[in-house]
Amino acid sequence: MQFTIPILHSAVTIMTPLLLASMGGLFTELSGMLNIALEGLLLMGAFCSIIFTHYTGSMVVGTVLGIGATMLLSAILASVTLNLKSNVFITGLATNLFASGLTVVLSFALFANKGVVVFDDIPSLPLLGTQALARIPIFGDIFIGHSAFVYLSWILLALSYFVLYRTPFGFRIRATGLHPEALSTLGMRPDRYRFASFLISGFTCGLGGALLTLNLGAFVPNITAGKGWIALVVIFLGNKKPFGLLIAAFIFGLADAFSNYAQGALNIPSDFILAIPYVFTLLAMVGSSIYAKKKGAIES
Amino acid sequence: MLENRNQTNRKLLPSLRSSGGILLIVLIALCGVLVLSLLLSKTPARTLRYFFLGPLQNTYYFGNMLNSATPLIFGGLGVSLAMRSGNFNLGGEGQIYGGALVTTLFAIYLAPLGVLGAIMALFIGASFAGALAGLSGFLRMKWNTSELITSFLISNAVVLVMNYLISGPFMDPSTSLIATRKIPDSFRLSALLPPSSLSTALFFALVAVVAVHAYLYKTKSGYELRMTGLNSRFAKYGGINTRKFIVLPMFLSGFLYGLGGGFAIYGTYFSAIKEFSAGMGWNGLAVALIAKSKPSAVIPAALFFAYIEAGARSAMLHSDVTFEIAAIVQSIVFFLISSEVLLTLFEKKRRNP
Amino acid sequence: MELAVEMRNISKTYVENNLRANDGVDFLVRKGEILCLAGENGAGKTTLMKVLYGLEGHEEGTISIHGSQESISSPLVANRLGIGMVHQHFMLVEDFTVAQNVLMGIEPRKYGLTYDMKKAVALVNEVIGRHNFSIEAGMVVRNLTVGQKQQVEIIKMLYRDVDILILDEPTAVLTEQEIEGLFSTLRQLAKRGKSLILITHKLQEIKAISDRVSVMRQGKMLGTYETHEVTERQISALMMGKSISLSIEHRIKRADSRPVIEGRKITVLRQGQQRPLLNALSFTAYSGEILGFAGVSGNGLGVLEAVLGGFIPIFDGKVLHNGADITNIGTALLRKQGLAYVPSDRLQIGSSLKASVQENIIVGESASFRKNGFLDQKRVTKHTNALLERYSAKATAQMPIGTLSGGTIQKVILAREIERYQDYIVFSEPTWGLDIASSQFVYEQIAALRDKGAAVILISSNLDEILTIADRIVVLYRGTRVASFSGDEARNLSKEEIGEYMLGIKSQGAPRA
Repeated sequence: MQFTIPILHSAVTIMTPLLLASMGGLFTELSGMLNIALEGLLLMGAFCSIIFTHYTGSMVVGTVLGIGATMLLSAILASVTLNLKSNVFITGLATNLFASGLTVVLSFALFANKGVVVFDDIPSLPLLGTQALARIPIFGDIFIGHSAFVYLSWILLALSYFVLYRTPFGFRIRATGLHPEALSTLGMRPDRYRFASFLISGFTCGLGGALLTLNLGAFVPNITAGKGWIALVVIFLGNKKPFGLLIAAFIFGLADAFSNYAQGALNIPSDFILAIPYVFTLLAMVGSSIYAKKKGAIES
Repeated sequence: MLENRNQTNRKLLPSLRSSGGILLIVLIALCGVLVLSLLLSKTPARTLRYFFLGPLQNTYYFGNMLNSATPLIFGGLGVSLAMRSGNFNLGGEGQIYGGALVTTLFAIYLAPLGVLGAIMALFIGASFAGALAGLSGFLRMKWNTSELITSFLISNAVVLVMNYLISGPFMDPSTSLIATRKIPDSFRLSALLPPSSLSTALFFALVAVVAVHAYLYKTKSGYELRMTGLNSRFAKYGGINTRKFIVLPMFLSGFLYGLGGGFAIYGTYFSAIKEFSAGMGWNGLAVALIAKSKPSAVIPAALFFAYIEAGARSAMLHSDVTFEIAAIVQSIVFFLISSEVLLTLFEKKRRNP
Repeated sequence: MELAVEMRNISKTYVENNLRANDGVDFLVRKGEILCLAGENGAGKTTLMKVLYGLEGHEEGTISIHGSQESISSPLVANRLGIGMVHQHFMLVEDFTVAQNVLMGIEPRKYGLTYDMKKAVALVNEVIGRHNFSIEAGMVVRNLTVGQKQQVEIIKMLYRDVDILILDEPTAVLTEQEIEGLFSTLRQLAKRGKSLILITHKLQEIKAISDRVSVMRQGKMLGTYETHEVTERQISALMMGKSISLSIEHRIKRADSRPVIEGRKITVLRQGQQRPLLNALSFTAYSGEILGFAGVSGNGLGVLEAVLGGFIPIFDGKVLHNGADITNIGTALLRKQGLAYVPSDRLQIGSSLKASVQENIIVGESASFRKNGFLDQKRVTKHTNALLERYSAKATAQMPIGTLSGGTIQKVILAREIERYQDYIVFSEPTWGLDIASSQFVYEQIAALRDKGAAVILISSNLDEILTIADRIVVLYRGTRVASFSGDEARNLSKEEIGEYMLGIKSQGAPRA
């Protein structure tokens, strides 16, 4: 039991950016758009948050500005896709390419450094946690001692559930993905709701990215390392429901935490582990196509 | 006489019009270079000069630019073929890299066979890449799984596996690079424009353009491929085996990417260096999109992309910007290239009789 | 007597395929009446109503609602003017409840933010109760029957206080009882002063429910009549156009006639639907004969076409070609076996609009134009031009076929299919949308094929067409063969009588051999 608690604890931290990204992705997915820009948006949030923090001296302000920048990028993505009628997958790729290029370019322009940029002036994230949570039997210690981001992500998850299932706005977003003509024949514009979901994904990814860099006190190129893609898998695995997202994200967080711990013990090359989300998503996609085909067939 | 001229107009004007959108996008991208230089460089004029003129100023830069266009031509051809049949091949990164590694390994293994060995290794490597893409095609044919997404996913996984193979089991400990052993010296293609790295691979790329063009427009198979892409229901109705033309074009698409990787090894790199081909797959895709899947247009499109990268490199070497501005410019192209609105901006709306 | 709707001189063209869907149409609806807008498929009725509901724009003409001229730019505007539309294909979110669907866009809120579900259910139940529908606001749409789903669509509109309600082919998916229920609802609504427009092509229903009927054909409004003053036969004649009085010689039965295509108890099912699309259909097509399949569209004609073309698999039964089993072998193999087929969907299946005329002509036969491994373009062009001339098609080989008129495209398709036919050929809706001269041309070609000994299968929802040229007729109703006649027998019956078979009122029982 001695090592279990630390692993579970770090799983919770590790899963947070994933959870945040997948939350935003959930909105776009429910509105009918395949959003592969989560990776680029996370990267944008990671980079912008830390440099704004560096320049303003405040983590809060820095994060807010970082989120703003990420939302701006997501607005560009949404606008090009919806208003200029482009292929959402290709514009998603463009977003990722743009973010990865921009971060290096700015890093170089501002700090003359294309690699890891360490910021000494950034304090470590304060760790919070009420005693009430610590009193939960057995696993209580897992829930305390996290940064504000983690707790914020839980609140946002609850909020996502609330918005999607208890407000008209959420109903309309879901209608956009399920049957957009139901909206358009009543005079509403589905594109508006798709745009809003892109913005929401920009918000959550901005926040999630901020955690990555502020937690580290440095910006590492490609710090997101496929988390945006894993977020999509999380959405799939979580059956596109908020609570499911929590479980799926935790599973991935746990796997990551465990592999950190067992680095030396098991001999699987890290590249293979990195490949897992892609293979997983592939299998999930094939599985769902086979299912869809069986459902819609004319009997013969 | 009048009828002839009307017919020519009818063919020329629409294609000029549809190129209008592309030209606009290229123009916007170049403006992006301007803006970036103004914002990021303390000496924007110098940056711009080296960006736009650098690649042209001597044989070294010019040759290298042409050389980097070569794999893009192969990739652009590959994606164009796939697009013509109604399929998206987004797996270029894995296909080029995987094809290159397999070619390299077989080249080393088949060294005793001389030229025959070189050709066989190339073919095997390209077939491996073709199989990767063909797998996506198969999944689409069988279960209607989006080949766009599966080709991307497979490619990502393959890149990681190739990275592992190059830095692990196949690494050559004698060099400081993370790379495999070198291919036999006799397999190396001759240099065209020393001191640049430009090799005769460029000729093979041009041959490929002619071959793909001839295939698409002058053979029965190419005809059936195009008909399947234009209207698959019509093609099926007409008796064309549309299932074949989901898998085959994807395979050929990957095969061409694989050739690009193999030729890059034979002509420039001489061993499979870790991540040497990063970005070539995406650029191949962008090239095909700019060329609107026309083989003959792939050449100028590839040159455009190579030019952007060469310009960025030159600006980086002689001025104070970093190479990654090329990624930003390329992303601008990516953002705009699939826009229905922009591409049909200059096209006349059809009038009713 | 007040006019609820006054549409004058409406013209609308769909640019994508050069289709003039509405051509100077006048359409008037009185307050409190039930008016049927009738016409065959493609007549322009749905387009006209989409214009009225703000889903489509129009180039010419004016619309006045309750006397004042309006510009209806979107369904929201239409709703505000009191116009509602119940679509043929439901616009419902299956996962949501009745109330959630009805109140989409006007959801009741608590504290201005949250969705007040309880209130939503109460509000919708109130409207449901007022109209005596059988559904409840809390039901999930997925679990409703088709008839109930339609009720939800109607409630959606009634809730928004519409007093002009458009229903697009409302009875297409309903059972007999559900249709009765719908009609009594409509009558109630009319009594309350609502104006109802029903888009339909079903003659029986027009007579049963409407006060007046407006008939459209090929984009034009032919006229509006008091329903009790016209017979079904007259409406039908208007809908389908003047009988083309062609003197097509009818077949003399030959001794050497043999069965070419035989269908044995063909059954086609669709997952999720109870009723088979084709129900144990048996028939034989002989050489030197035109076998016509008649029926109202939606009763299996399209499915039969798809089966013969190899597009859909059959669940049970067999199809034989000269005795050989060709069941479910697929289009490519059917083509190799000699399938010649002129499809009803000229533009999406019969041709590839972006490809050139010659590329359209050689599909399936491209192998025969090979020289040294490559396609001989010159020979293709020559072959195409020769065909174009022979079939009097005004076109050149290299132009994209999409630039041609519908009639010319059909000629190209005919040219291709007739050239490649071996012993049988299938025609489906061959003169749909064509003018008289082109139609005449098509019939002459079909007759010539028959005289040469081909087995011609003609599938058409146009009864006049069937009567004009078929030598033998099989009537389909709901996928079942309900009647067959020889051509002469059929021509001696009234169209009304044949119509009774087509509408399922009468049936000949066990099918003849």
